[in-house]
Amino acid sequence: MWGRYIRRRLFQPAFVLWLAATLTFLAFYFTPGDPAQTLLAASGAGPAEIAQRRAELGLDAPLPVQYIRYLVNLLQGDLGQSWLHGRSVARMIGEQLPPTIELSLAAMIIGVFLGFALGILAAIRQGTWVDTLTTTLAVVGLSTPTYWTGLLVILFFSLYLGWLPSTGDGSFQHLILPALTLGFALAGAIARLVRARVVEVMGRQYVLAARARGIMPRPVLFIHILRPAIAPVLTVIALQFGFLLGGAVITESVFARPGLGKLAIEAILWRDLQVVRGVVILGAVVYVLVNLLADLAQAWLNPRLRDELT
Amino acid sequence: MWLALVCLAAILAPILAPHGPGVTNTAASLQPPGPNYWLGTDLLGRDLLIRLLWGSRWTLGMALGGLAVTIGVGLPLGIMAGAFGGWVDTVLMRLVDALLAFPGLLLAMAVVSLLGSGIGAVAIAVGFAAAPGYARVVRTAAVEVRTELYVEAAHSVGCTPWRILVRHIFPNTITPLIAFAATQLGWVLLNGAALNFLGLGVAPGTPEWGAMLVEGRNFLRDAPWVSAFPGLALTLTVLAANLLGDSLQRAFEPR
Amino acid sequence: MVCHLFCRQIKFAALFVLLFSAVILPACSSTESETPPTPSRLVYGLTLAPSGLDPHLNASSELGIPLTSVYDTLVYLDEETGQFVPGLANSWTVSGDGLVYTFTLRDDVVFHDGTPFNAEAVKFNLDRITSPDLASQKARFMLGPYNRAELVDEFTVKIYLDQPFAPLLDSLSQVYLGMASPAAVQKWGDEYQLHQAGTGPYVFSDYAPGDRLLLTANPDYAWGPELYSRQTASIDEIEFRFFTDPATRSPALETGEAQIMGEIPPQDAERLQADAQFILQPQPIPGSSLMFFLNTARPPLDELPLRQALLYGANRPAIISAVFRDTSPVAYGPLTAVTFGYDPAVKDYYPFDPARAAALLDEAGWLDTDGDGMRERNGQPLVLDMYLMGWGFMPEVGQLLAAQWQELGIGINSQIVSYPEALAIGAEGGHHLIPFTLSGSDPDIMRKFFHAEAQFNWSKINNPTLDSLLTEAAQTADRPTRANLYSQAQQQVMDQALILPVRDYVNLNGLNNRVQGLRFDAQGWFPRLIDVTLAAQ
Repeated sequence: MWGRYIRRRLFQPAFVLWLAATLTFLAFYFTPGDPAQTLLAASGAGPAEIAQRRAELGLDAPLPVQYIRYLVNLLQGDLGQSWLHGRSVARMIGEQLPPTIELSLAAMIIGVFLGFALGILAAIRQGTWVDTLTTTLAVVGLSTPTYWTGLLVILFFSLYLGWLPSTGDGSFQHLILPALTLGFALAGAIARLVRARVVEVMGRQYVLAARARGIMPRPVLFIHILRPAIAPVLTVIALQFGFLLGGAVITESVFARPGLGKLAIEAILWRDLQVVRGVVILGAVVYVLVNLLADLAQAWLNPRLRDELT
Repeated sequence: MWLALVCLAAILAPILAPHGPGVTNTAASLQPPGPNYWLGTDLLGRDLLIRLLWGSRWTLGMALGGLAVTIGVGLPLGIMAGAFGGWVDTVLMRLVDALLAFPGLLLAMAVVSLLGSGIGAVAIAVGFAAAPGYARVVRTAAVEVRTELYVEAAHSVGCTPWRILVRHIFPNTITPLIAFAATQLGWVLLNGAALNFLGLGVAPGTPEWGAMLVEGRNFLRDAPWVSAFPGLALTLTVLAANLLGDSLQRAFEPR
Repeated sequence: MVCHLFCRQIKFAALFVLLFSAVILPACSSTESETPPTPSRLVYGLTLAPSGLDPHLNASSELGIPLTSVYDTLVYLDEETGQFVPGLANSWTVSGDGLVYTFTLRDDVVFHDGTPFNAEAVKFNLDRITSPDLASQKARFMLGPYNRAELVDEFTVKIYLDQPFAPLLDSLSQVYLGMASPAAVQKWGDEYQLHQAGTGPYVFSDYAPGDRLLLTANPDYAWGPELYSRQTASIDEIEFRFFTDPATRSPALETGEAQIMGEIPPQDAERLQADAQFILQPQPIPGSSLMFFLNTARPPLDELPLRQALLYGANRPAIISAVFRDTSPVAYGPLTAVTFGYDPAVKDYYPFDPARAAALLDEAGWLDTDGDGMRERNGQPLVLDMYLMGWGFMPEVGQLLAAQWQELGIGINSQIVSYPEALAIGAEGGHHLIPFTLSGSDPDIMRKFFHAEAQFNWSKINNPTLDSLLTEAAQTADRPTRANLYSQAQQQVMDQALILPVRDYVNLNGLNNRVQGLRFDAQGWFPRLIDVTLAAQ
């Protein structure tokens, strides 16, 4: 049963990946600005040289040809060479991956912990000032832009208090401020969701009945409330990976950290399409994988869903 | 309490007309603090209070515009997927998944790169980036309704799928979706602001709050008011929108 | 019952707080992040993660900041005298027709990887730079009408040109034409960027792309040009980090995380100057000024009086004061004041005179007939399209200009575009106004902007007189003659009102007051790291 289920689930992600790859290819193909011209701009090269560079980069081939080449390369795992740096795209991405993963994981951990804590707290104390305070806190986290909170956090913790380094990476301490900034925003989203779900579950008949009758040993209550509550939250958490990558873009700039975000921005600004496509495809793969895992986890957590999905 | 905040932000728009002309630029003036200019001036000597007031129009306009795109794109996709089911559902949802695989910000950047900059492009880009997520939610709601008994009843009576969609599914899904849209407002605003940070945003000089926030960042220590007030306004608006969405959601909950 | 749950949550939260403080406490007690580094280490803040770090391949000026100390060049340009002094080349001669340069090289130079420097190495480098495989983005073009290099003997090499090219020595004095170890290039291929080897006073130790670049002092360095005040470097290690966000540069300096920081924003510069712990070192950069190109091929800007009116109507001192806090001088011509060949006479052109601007507009027939504050002519409103890029304060400058011109009744449509888009728009001429700037120590830079066939001819000018002036100046070796030619060229440009110059670029460097001896070379951007010393606390 599991085997069939997994196999079915695998077909669709492949389709999604293909779509994502095609969209990436098309999206940046049509943006204005010529890569060859951008690369040679400040050098004083003439139109002839620029045209020659375009040919070298394979840009003068017709659209379908470029697309086929792109797909073929992709299937072979060849992400090509960066037009700007002349280096292998795969290698460049590989270098920037660890710092971004580091930041994302740290932010995710902070976000989940903080989000769950706040959310559950608010749900338990629903309607009281605790609820209002925590909810407001969550929404503030959700609604303030990271480049602003990031700068504030730097100014306060780094400059004013002198506790933590503001920029760069290399030690655990360097990770704290950026992870906090990003994690706080994530926590807000998670907290609201957790609160909503816990409240809903707590209002369900069997819980109310059980509580009325007074038969609720602590751990059992915990499991009965949290288990159904967590499932959809997991899906949302999986979705948030995209948010994290986008948030990383800004956080990396503000905190002077290396990472995929900066790589992507530079590549977009310089029309280094090979790199852009590489990063996006990577993001897509991660996203699809994470979602697959989340779906599987959800099915495992909630037996009812299993039947529905097979 | 929260609704009042939202209304305040909305009411600000009409009040603009009496309070002096649009965005005045006194080139000579610099950035003094409070007394003469109630909220101070920015780097180019423009009165911050006036800009803030006018900015409410631009900001809300962009937010609503973006939201319109989100709904305009997401709603049809989601409803058709949910209502028809089957292969329509699969294809459309895979498309949505593919779009969701792009980090939101990068998707918005791609769209802005395609359309050129300016507030219209930003609104469309950000709205479009939020659309896939919205489509998903719509679909889930549509699916829930589709499996309701009355829809089955209509189907057995012989209504065409389209008729079912329009007359039964759509009205029943729309109310919770409006609530959800309100919470998306915050997302739209923030991403718009983020685009400004990356240099891909609105035309220079547009008093949009997100743009003002980015402009003021560089002098956060010497002239914090330039960033603080738009930032506060932005945060409060997003806060209010989210809370409004929550209230609406609670109100429309079919319990 | 609920209390049970709540207590659970309290425990949960307590655990969380404990975890958190376990992380914060070590951060507090460890003062590593606060204490400035030991005396022989320096952190230098760069502003852009350089788009590529190979000087032969890539074009940014950021890469030159560290790499100028990793590579030596054949000659050096003395910024004070304007003369070229020996570097890796002991002496050189130029043939009468200016087509053959013969360089006699030093015989005591060794690359960082131990291989010897000789004429073969020079030829290898030049071949690499000009090879189509490398696809050089700048270095290749700096060589101009280069034909080939030939070995004469072990330490003599000849360079052949197709035409005389006066900027050649200037090009050869820049890091983009620095001499790299052929052995290292061959060994590392595409990955050479990460393992560079030159002959300079600093060795390229470690590079984590996007993160940091580490240079260590070269103990064997003994062949520096007379421009250097030291034989070997004083500081053992220099670490370069990248601060793309301007708001974080000054804080990094102030927390002691960096001892030198480039491109400090003007507002922060004022504060640093007042603080005794830091020194502000403004460095004017030679090259073109930050200028707006007025598209002479697109009506209505094809009319000279309108262009002149725009120039008279622009209050540039006010802009400099507000946006740049007077840290840059106002520019009046296409070249910055510190560039060789700059003609001070350009200062007489177009002082701020709104009355005169209005008169010019009136005469040209642009009148406000319907009282809406905007001028029209034959029913056409006077509206111009201005495209701006998002950096370098261009948006702020653009807004102020638009406001000033609005008072004259000229409407401006402004838009922010990305760099590639701007290049495309400028090339096609879809703009009325668009700004740009390039730096460089040789005034030949003007040819890139004002020659009819130039890539950056965004004024769309086609003036044979100007063309011949610029071409001749590129081929004449005699400095006074060149200066004269460029003088005429600058006046032509301003007579025709092809550009609206705004300001000379000044790089505001912030230094910790322990840093001494920091000087920049003739290009303005590149520091002589060998001369820098760090005083004890």
